[in-house]
Amino acid sequence: MDELSIVGQVVGGSFGDVVIRQKAGTDLEIGDLMVSEENGSFLILQVFALEYGSQIQDKMQQMMSGVNLEQGVVDANFYEPDFVNYVLARIKPLARVFRENGDVKIPKSLPSFFNKLRLIGKDDLSFLQKENDQIFVGHIRSGSKVIKEAEVWLPAEDVFSHHVLIPATTGRGKSNLVKTILWHVLDTNKVGALVLDAHDEYFGRTGVGLKDHPRAKDNMVYYTPSNPPVGANRLTINLQTIRPEHFEGIVDFSDPQFQAIRMAHRQHRENWIQELMRVNVTPMEMGADTRRQGDFAAGTMMVVQRKLRLILSLEVDEEQVIVSRHEVFDSTTRGITTVDDIVRDIEQGKVVVLDTSRLGDEAELLVGNIIASKLLQKYKDAKATGELERKPVATIVIEEAPRVIGEDVLTSRNDNIYSTIAKEGRKFKVGLTAITQLSSVIPKTILANMNTKIILGNEMKQEREAIIASASQDLSEDDKNIASLDKGEAIITSIFVPFAMPIKIPLFEDIVKNRATEVNTGKTKVF
Amino acid sequence: MLFAHLSDIHLGFQKNESLQKIEQQVFEKAMDECISRNVNFILIPGDLFHVNIPEMRVQKYAFAKFRQVHDAGIPIYVVYGSHDFSPVSNSVIDLLSEVGYITKVTKATSNENDTISLDFLIDEKTGAKIAGLSGLKVGKDREWYEKLDRDSLEAESGFKIFLFHGGISDMKTESGMDGDHMPLSLLPKGFSYYAGGHMHKFNHQSFDGYPNVVYPGTPFAGYHADLEDNANGQKRGFVLVEFEDTVKSVDFVEIPNVSYEIIQVDANNRKAESINQELIEKTKDIDPAQKVVIIKVKGELTSGKTADVDISGIRDELNSRNAMMINVSKNGLTSKEYSITEAKGANKEEIETNVFSENIGQLRFEYPELLNDDGIKLAKKLLRELGQPVLVNEKKNEYIPRIRDNALALLGLDKDDS
Repeated sequence: MDELSIVGQVVGGSFGDVVIRQKAGTDLEIGDLMVSEENGSFLILQVFALEYGSQIQDKMQQMMSGVNLEQGVVDANFYEPDFVNYVLARIKPLARVFRENGDVKIPKSLPSFFNKLRLIGKDDLSFLQKENDQIFVGHIRSGSKVIKEAEVWLPAEDVFSHHVLIPATTGRGKSNLVKTILWHVLDTNKVGALVLDAHDEYFGRTGVGLKDHPRAKDNMVYYTPSNPPVGANRLTINLQTIRPEHFEGIVDFSDPQFQAIRMAHRQHRENWIQELMRVNVTPMEMGADTRRQGDFAAGTMMVVQRKLRLILSLEVDEEQVIVSRHEVFDSTTRGITTVDDIVRDIEQGKVVVLDTSRLGDEAELLVGNIIASKLLQKYKDAKATGELERKPVATIVIEEAPRVIGEDVLTSRNDNIYSTIAKEGRKFKVGLTAITQLSSVIPKTILANMNTKIILGNEMKQEREAIIASASQDLSEDDKNIASLDKGEAIITSIFVPFAMPIKIPLFEDIVKNRATEVNTGKTKVF
Repeated sequence: MLFAHLSDIHLGFQKNESLQKIEQQVFEKAMDECISRNVNFILIPGDLFHVNIPEMRVQKYAFAKFRQVHDAGIPIYVVYGSHDFSPVSNSVIDLLSEVGYITKVTKATSNENDTISLDFLIDEKTGAKIAGLSGLKVGKDREWYEKLDRDSLEAESGFKIFLFHGGISDMKTESGMDGDHMPLSLLPKGFSYYAGGHMHKFNHQSFDGYPNVVYPGTPFAGYHADLEDNANGQKRGFVLVEFEDTVKSVDFVEIPNVSYEIIQVDANNRKAESINQELIEKTKDIDPAQKVVIIKVKGELTSGKTADVDISGIRDELNSRNAMMINVSKNGLTSKEYSITEAKGANKEEIETNVFSENIGQLRFEYPELLNDDGIKLAKKLLRELGQPVLVNEKKNEYIPRIRDNALALLGLDKDDS
């Protein structure tokens, strides 16, 4: 090993908490990756804590400081300070890489005592080879240093079907990460995605976005409620495509209210919303508790009508026809096929971005619910007929995930499609990509099912603890590491990576800029 | 001022002689209506003919009628549809255009920067400005719209009409309307009227920036499914549009075509015998004379073959009662007993063997050579034989008998065996 590259030496500790002395003149950081050369293999280790070490007793150091501070004329120094005072780094082994075949294993032994360590280099990470159908998430990061040559690619089908969690607080680069992931999903038709874009930030209506991908015209479909840009679709969903179960876990209906809804659906099939809204409930009937509408109390009907009216913007026109003034929901003939079209696109491995920025919370989740239900059903059917293997894996990207898979939602209301997918979607190649600031409110059973977590910076201790507790690798010593993650820095913990990988996600704008523009094929013939 | 908008006439589609007459009559009636209502011009955005060069019979009556319209001083503006389009101007549309009976609207220029500019054609009498693009099969025309210089089109003032031939996804009204549809946002904004073709049912909608997007639908039938829709009450005809500076009214003019009867049978969880019985019962109740009779059997039989649902006797019976035409649809009919199970394999050969092995057990034949391993071997031989390509310079009338005779030989049959 080149003496100049040495940054420290193993001096003590135990498995998972090895102590090294930092070489004078080097500047180790939390998160730095280093290498310990072993016989036939090398260990990759990571710094998780830094502290001072000294050969001089604490009291003596404090006295010397007193001399310096209080008797300003005298400047007391240590004799050979580099030998006497130093930094101790606490490091943990992440992986053992075998030189012969490039195998990466979980380490089960300590680095050799007194072994000299160096910082990791690109050649040490040659096992990170991109294979077919993988998605790029970023470059390996050692502390704050980015190793540009070491790209991290994840196996798309496995990762998306086993769910992805992206926990982060605002301003830590969530959108940039999601755009980066989707950008690489657009490269092939191996992954279909439904993206509920609550901030209309992925398509790139005003700046760069997924629309700038060379294959966007073929592989991406964008729906927006009004004034769609050229080539985009209008997001219109016909009321006839809504079924009672789509409200489950989304809207707070009581049991009798749900029964009233189900009864209306049984009686009037696809026209159930219009018919239910037509039921005349007078205030007088409200007062007389014994008077009932069908089998339901007038009060129940009124509440159901009011909730539907608010969520779906329903009004009654002068001819007593129920119409929806909602930007998205339509009571006439429009949008009958939107859900089918979207599901078909996802089944073809396309990325479908829905601009839900102008929808209320419940309306957004309802739209997602309608589509996700149909998608899951289609994939279940495909499994039954043996066709699932030919389908691309499908993922549903949802922001503020606790709205649908939060503990309070799932205990106070019935399961919804998102929690169903989180629990059983994997069997049918349908997964969630859940983005959240609050991982701690997602039930452990669901968090444990999310087998890939791309952890961005988070200053909330409670959230970090929830993430660490459910990580696929042992992150028990990484609390400070996570807290100190800067914008665009992340840690990937997944059953599909050999160790928890520190990464730096590139700027999406740079990815777009670096992508070679397609060669202009010249004039187009028009007949 | 008034113009007519027709589309998807599909002249030459019908194979049945009686329906060919109806097809002709409907077309002629529509043109006569245009003349008698004194329209200023007629728009036909595509699929005027079912193929680019239809048979002479069709061309004869089409030319005669178009000459009549021309003589009445009514211009006809068209774009190619996905059926009558020709990349080398080798369509009967071009012939009609050459003699001056119709005018092709598309005046496109491909620019160096890979954009497409469209020029307006101005109708002399009304001053209406008309632009349009043809429709290609499987949505290949989408590229044109993506490259369209829409700024110049949108900046043009006056009464503007855009002709296009293609499905608009925003206007789909039924599930199951698969195929290539494009979003409305690909059309240039701000035209007074969007004359659409390709969707076969009348549909008139307005959107922000897109007032009056209209499909008149086919006036009779361009697909077999259209006849079924007709039997279910779909109105057919064309659209009359009154306009000045803007569109004043859009009215659908119905043209009756023929009478229909439809017999629909749900085959789900039933056996062929009971379906045959129901068909007989339902047939008794109708008067098929001079009518198109649609028989539709759909669902999954519990046992037996789909071929056990026997329409031939019913067909004979209806014919004897002067039915004009009997259209049978069994596409949606399957059988539990004969559903094909998929099988895996390392290569094509292995997959074929495994699929046959997996499914041959379902068959009940008296001939042992059609069952078990012998049956699998025979099936594979037959599949290979039927997959033989056409030889170089081999004509169709040589290829078909060669393949048929070889296949029959494999089965140990003679082509004269009935």
